[in-house]
Amino acid sequence: MTQPRIAVFARLANGNAAPTRVISGQKSMLGRTIHGLAYDPVHDEIVAPNALADAVLVFRAAAEGSERPVRVIQGSQTHMVTPHAVSLDLRNGEILVASLTGRRINVFRWDANGNAAPVRVIEGPRTGLGHVVGLAVDPERNLLAVANSQEILIFNRTDNGDVAPRARIAGPKTGITDEPWQMEFYKGKIFVAASNHFHDNLYNGVTLRTDAKDVPDDPWLNPTLGFVGMWNITDSGDVPPRAMIRGPYSNLLHPVGLALNPRTGEIYVSDSVRNGVLSFLVPQFFP
Amino acid sequence: MNKLAAGCVFAFALLVAAAVLPRASSQESNPTKPAPEDIPPVRTIADPYPAFNGVAVDAANGLVAMSDPNRKSLLLYDRVNGASRGASASVPLRQIVGPDTFLGMIAGILLDSEHREVYTANNDIEDTVVVMPYEASGNVKPARVFSVPHQSWGLALGQAREEIAVTVEVQNTVVFYRRQVKGVEAPIRIIRGPATGLADPHGIYWDESHDEIGVANHGNFRGVVQNTGGGCAPSAVVEDEAEAGESRPPSVTIFSAGAKGDTKPLRVIQGARTGLDWPMGVAYDPKHDTVAVANNGDSSILIFSRASNGDVAPVRILRGNHTGINHPMGVAIDPQNGEMWVSNWGDHSALAFDSGANGNATPKRVVRSAPEGTPTPGFGNPMALAYDSKRDALLVPN
Repeated sequence: MTQPRIAVFARLANGNAAPTRVISGQKSMLGRTIHGLAYDPVHDEIVAPNALADAVLVFRAAAEGSERPVRVIQGSQTHMVTPHAVSLDLRNGEILVASLTGRRINVFRWDANGNAAPVRVIEGPRTGLGHVVGLAVDPERNLLAVANSQEILIFNRTDNGDVAPRARIAGPKTGITDEPWQMEFYKGKIFVAASNHFHDNLYNGVTLRTDAKDVPDDPWLNPTLGFVGMWNITDSGDVPPRAMIRGPYSNLLHPVGLALNPRTGEIYVSDSVRNGVLSFLVPQFFP
Repeated sequence: MNKLAAGCVFAFALLVAAAVLPRASSQESNPTKPAPEDIPPVRTIADPYPAFNGVAVDAANGLVAMSDPNRKSLLLYDRVNGASRGASASVPLRQIVGPDTFLGMIAGILLDSEHREVYTANNDIEDTVVVMPYEASGNVKPARVFSVPHQSWGLALGQAREEIAVTVEVQNTVVFYRRQVKGVEAPIRIIRGPATGLADPHGIYWDESHDEIGVANHGNFRGVVQNTGGGCAPSAVVEDEAEAGESRPPSVTIFSAGAKGDTKPLRVIQGARTGLDWPMGVAYDPKHDTVAVANNGDSSILIFSRASNGDVAPVRILRGNHTGINHPMGVAIDPQNGEMWVSNWGDHSALAFDSGANGNATPKRVVRSAPEGTPTPGFGNPMALAYDSKRDALLVPN
């Protein structure tokens, strides 16, 4: 993001529209890396990560301007390490956090505040967690889906510690090649913004990698375009999406952000190359 | 994954995808007959106009230039004649835009008037600095591209030292390269460590006359000892424990221009009296011996005495409805003509003020990338979304 902020647009906004209000400014404590965002309709709150301050911020949903969060999860007990994406499990009242460079998933109570310890942490070599972004919980089946590196991993919802995923959706038939991004869940289905950009960072922190030789190609020019894909959360293996949005008419290049509105049968997608937000009317995706 | 291995995987994936996803190939090669999954959007929120992030001015060559992360371009205007006529959009001398340019989500910009080169930092996720000749226009390849750490934002040129300084947000670091850097080269020195006070650094200026650099910090901090990865960049190293994130007050930290390692700043402007609120671009004004700060959070330009230290108030504040300042991202000083340039993220404009302007002053000239009053979505690589079902609204972090 260029300016750290959360901009609010009317759902029917179209074209070159301005936001109706914006949460921004120093008091908001927002940072310039937000790769997952969640609205909590139960408590009418917005949950946002701040990867640059190892924090999760909770705002009242009507917040505007330079407004402080109502709760801030931050501190040594949180065990968050670059939390760049969040998701919610409304049924069980939990906030799920994707800690990127910690390669872990931290789970907090919905009302956690301050230097709070997570109720669970999935981490360790058996988990296979790498570039973890999107998270989605199926409270009926007690499953947790994770958009990870070049795959989707399925854990038990209450897994804790160094546990192997129970299933892995990966392979050429999936169409996922690199860094699947935001993920949402609806009635047994997981929806994923499969960006398929190709990020090759030559530095570890500020240290140039010893194997770095050439400047990588522009990651957004990856000829394998991204798509929005839908799978059953019970899928496993090299399974093609059960429904998708992709192609030149879709205007999707490398989609990253994703939100669902089953009531209207719409899917909202942000695309970093288009630098825009696209709305798709797909009631057939929400039977 | 190294590039060779990654390339092999990528090539393999392309081959397999072509085999198992035949509709993708056919529909993309024949867009006149959309495949079932090729569903057009019913609505699209996007800004068709350039949106200004950084601004730089070169009085010697009569140029003012802006970085545009929206259309992913650089725009060069005549410093005087590039001003908008009334409410209409200005006409740039040149716009550098297109897939060959390497321009992406660009942030800081600088003009090297002596060597007639434009530098701009690709913040996320290209992780490069792009160098274009002044004469570049359209879809052209850069004169040079060099790799930088992920989340590089601000740029400054040290003419005497022949160095480029680059701020790196998540690493709380300033990295320095030789001026002629090209391709993949390690920094020649860095400023990094607990004593530096760097915390999510953004804009940077190089004050040649006092051999100092100044850095604007947002205050986000996640350590520098165990902080090895960053932002949205994959890291080869798993960070076992965080150092406990902090949200510090914003600041401007001033260092000796030759500083390296875990060096304490010479001075720190920080505290409630400063009024700092998401300081973005910074610039040194030799005529007034002051430091100008693009104060994004409260739509102002703060002017501090160069020697300010501690919790001090600005000597001047440029703010108000006559100024046209709207969530500024960049600020640049033209000492030769006694002007200060401000680039707005909140609308499609850049403003030229007298460099001694104060209060609710009116700009001398306005450069517009869109007609006045054009709505501004303000997207900058939006990488997440949420839907507020109560308010029937889309939430876009950007």
